[in-house]
Amino acid sequence: MTLLLIILFPLLGAALPAVAVRWGRNASAGAAAGVTAIPLALLLFETPRVLAGGTIEAGWRWVPAIGLDLTFRLDGLGFLFALLILGIGLLVILYARYYLSQRDPVGRFYVFLLLFMGAMLGIVLSDNLLLLLVFWELTSLSSFLLIGYWKHHADARQGARMALAITGGGGLALLAGVLLLGHIVGSFELPVVLRSRELIQGSPLYLPMLTLILLGAFTKSAQFPFHFWLPHAMSAPTPVSAYLHSATMVKAGVFLLARLYPVLSGSDAWFYLVSGTGLVTLVFAAYVAMFKHDLKGLLAYSTISHLGLIMLLFGLSTPLAAVAGVFHIINHATFKASLFMAAGIIDHESGSRDMRRLNGLWKYMPHTATLAMVAAASMAGVPLFNGFLSKEMFFTEALELHQTGTLWWIVPAAATLAGVFAVAYSLRFIHDVFFNGEPVDLPRTPHEPPRWMKVPVEILVVLCLLVGIFPAYTVAPLLNVAAGSVLGGPLPEFDLAIWHGFTFPLLMSVVALSGGVLVYFALQYRFNLHMIVQSPSPGRRFYNRGLAWLTGLSEIVTGGLQNGSLQRYLALLVTVILLAGAFPFWQLGWYSGSRSPGMMDGGSGVAWLLLVVSAACTVIWHRQRLLALVFVGVTGLMVSLIFVRFSAPDLALTQILVEVVSIILLLLALYLLPQTTPRESSVTRRMRDAGLAVAAGLGAAGLVWAVLTRPQDTISGFFLEQSVPGGGGSNVVNVILVDFRGFDTFGEIIVLAIAALGIYAMIGGLRVERPALDPARRPWAADSHPLLLRVASRILLPLALMVSVYLLLRGHNEPGGGFIAGLVTAVALITQYLASGIAWTEARLRLDHQRMIGIGVLIAALTGVASWFFGAPFLTSAFAHWHLPVLGELPLASAMIFDLGVYLTVVATTMLMLVTLGKIGAREEV
Amino acid sequence: MSAMSAMLLEILVSLFLLASAFFTLAGSIGLARLPDFYTRLHGPTKATTLGVGGMLVASVLYFSARGEWLSLNELLITMFLFITAPISAYLLAQAALHLRVRDVSGGADKSKHPGQ
Repeated sequence: MTLLLIILFPLLGAALPAVAVRWGRNASAGAAAGVTAIPLALLLFETPRVLAGGTIEAGWRWVPAIGLDLTFRLDGLGFLFALLILGIGLLVILYARYYLSQRDPVGRFYVFLLLFMGAMLGIVLSDNLLLLLVFWELTSLSSFLLIGYWKHHADARQGARMALAITGGGGLALLAGVLLLGHIVGSFELPVVLRSRELIQGSPLYLPMLTLILLGAFTKSAQFPFHFWLPHAMSAPTPVSAYLHSATMVKAGVFLLARLYPVLSGSDAWFYLVSGTGLVTLVFAAYVAMFKHDLKGLLAYSTISHLGLIMLLFGLSTPLAAVAGVFHIINHATFKASLFMAAGIIDHESGSRDMRRLNGLWKYMPHTATLAMVAAASMAGVPLFNGFLSKEMFFTEALELHQTGTLWWIVPAAATLAGVFAVAYSLRFIHDVFFNGEPVDLPRTPHEPPRWMKVPVEILVVLCLLVGIFPAYTVAPLLNVAAGSVLGGPLPEFDLAIWHGFTFPLLMSVVALSGGVLVYFALQYRFNLHMIVQSPSPGRRFYNRGLAWLTGLSEIVTGGLQNGSLQRYLALLVTVILLAGAFPFWQLGWYSGSRSPGMMDGGSGVAWLLLVVSAACTVIWHRQRLLALVFVGVTGLMVSLIFVRFSAPDLALTQILVEVVSIILLLLALYLLPQTTPRESSVTRRMRDAGLAVAAGLGAAGLVWAVLTRPQDTISGFFLEQSVPGGGGSNVVNVILVDFRGFDTFGEIIVLAIAALGIYAMIGGLRVERPALDPARRPWAADSHPLLLRVASRILLPLALMVSVYLLLRGHNEPGGGFIAGLVTAVALITQYLASGIAWTEARLRLDHQRMIGIGVLIAALTGVASWFFGAPFLTSAFAHWHLPVLGELPLASAMIFDLGVYLTVVATTMLMLVTLGKIGAREEV
Repeated sequence: MSAMSAMLLEILVSLFLLASAFFTLAGSIGLARLPDFYTRLHGPTKATTLGVGGMLVASVLYFSARGEWLSLNELLITMFLFITAPISAYLLAQAALHLRVRDVSGGADKSKHPGQ
């Protein structure tokens, strides 16, 4: 329960800062801090158990059918990450309070930040890979919102889109990879997966699975060649950069590798892919970082480089390298978050982030400068600071490498080179900003920030020092349990000391330090660093070109399919239906069953003949629109008579009512349209359409024949038997609609609702000038609402409503039901509109159709949800027969409430469609 | 129910059905055979309405005798029919006048335009 609370506090509490912002910025920040502090306290409460090596697990079933369950675990690794997320989160909330200006919407910032925090906690505490993936995507989304926080800046929007596209694309690859992994293991539960090392590594799917999972991890952790989104994400407010893009989110990829380390690592593919990518990223990004003039740009590339370092460590697959990887995660989070915050302070108090203009700030902000220097020294790997310790471990492991054979020197050499670059850019951060002459043309005079803005930086810097000087007393227990849960076995022997004697790694550190100092001063004074301008990264160009290509492609496809010609859409739809329908026939052969469909009686014969004739007449006179409409009406009437003939009163009622509604609909449309259809299509086009129509008709006939002649062993027998005992109603059609196949109906009313809202969205508010004369150039009748019609329709209304209520109530046992009753009500109401006009009716009938649609769908959904409270699946119906003293037996089924939802939705959708259409041509009421 | 009253009921129902069939047929023939729009309107709106009414009375009698309760659904249908049929006829006639549909003597043209 604690675990769920830890995740839910930020996720659900995210709303609080938005509410609290009414009482000021402090209240908003306070609310956010409170929502963070409680789960932090909960987490710290579990410290003894976790440090003792215990794992806390909790779980609830969610969607067991696909292996997705709400299972959580808190082990050493999860504890370490949760501590980073909540601890640094708290500091960032405090920092952001002073960083954001008066004009920024503070509440929204904290909402997004807390959402991100909850999602990130979800990743590190998930015990189910699919659940982890859900949270993974949530971090991508909340990161998108945070990067785009200053939405009025174009680069913020572009950066947010780019980050979402890259990490989202990686998320898709990860999804595929996790599905493969689940397929190999047969479960998505981490404990099961972590026990199946041999199974996974022996599987032929290992390599594709590994590649896909690594794609997800590399994109999230900004590894080469996907790194370019991270520098662009720097258009986010600096607290976001400090939190997401250095300490937490970009570590998600690394975290995932650490999580799956016990089962995925050790293979050659793992070694070459992970450490290769890590190595390239490490050196490349460190090199680029030296030439960035933007403070945050430098830090971004340095972050990419350090993430590459951690990747490389996990790729090496030795236990000690994994320990070093975990250690560096901690160290990097502390020093990089503090550096970002320091950069934010400099930006905030001087108005610039450009190192060509920021010089000599030591005089103006010595306190901040000291803090930044400590953090930068840690980043460079100077002894006595925490960065030195993990870097030393990294050098040691680089030397221990055996897989590379005679090329053993490559990794140590690259590591030293990256170390040189790291020292150079760290030195630049300090020297260029705080010394190196006087500031150039700054927007404002720099000064120290408010007291509390420095506190988060101070806390982090003190941590850097404590870990760097007394590692064994501070970080050792946490590192032990975290590394222990990464390795999933015994820890290797290691010594967290500053001094190991004169060793080769120490020599590498010395080379890196002195080389870095040399490189920086050479660049600054010999090559005039400030004049060097880098071209934009090729990755970004590639991304933009790819994006343009995709946009072009989708434009071509969409333009080809949707050129605005309704005829084309119809032809395409019919063709697709034909092909889909023809496929089984082509595959299984022509089907004709043994059963004789029976002889046609005289009455049916006449009806059939009328049906054929009216359909043919519709085709022949389709250019005379009103005439065609009359024939369509005849066709509909015949169809409903055929339903009566086959004892389907519900269908017949529905058919007749739909017929009425659609005639009104078409008449409303015809009122504004030409009365005849001009000849526009060529002969070949008409031949094509005729061919399609004939083929579709023959196909339908073939299907009907196949159904009529197959031996009768359908499901209808089951429905007939189960209707009363299972559904509590004797009208089988209605019981099927609201009970047996209630979920279908639920989907259908939602489709109806969406269609009506779509119509409203498209033509609501559209006004067309009513033609002054009718098509034959005669004036309209002056009395558009005849008195007799008005009076009669008002007498009819209560009667019709009574009928519809009657149909609704008896629907479960006799012909009727929500759908039919809804249509009756709608027709009765529409009659009022027709008889008395829109203005008159709307003044008296104040129905908010959109809201009514929502209420209807909600009632149906809540009826379905209600069955959960009785431990039954969605939409299980319950029924009872009550005996009342006067009224006699009263059958009640929960399905009737569902039917009420259907009724309301049908009434509102029909009304909304017709009224919207009717308003287009309505003239001002007299 | 005794055999006697059963037979009486059947005779009564049959009479109503026959009468309704007659009026419906007459209405239909009228619709097909009468010379102009205005006279044709009589067929479906008057004769046929009466025919359907007869059928509904027969239905009331039959189902009331069979069940425990008086069958009143048909009365409601009758009401709907008797309200809507004249209104339809009225609207159709008004539309015809507005459109100046000629009668058998060619008279409607001369009358004052009702729509103006």
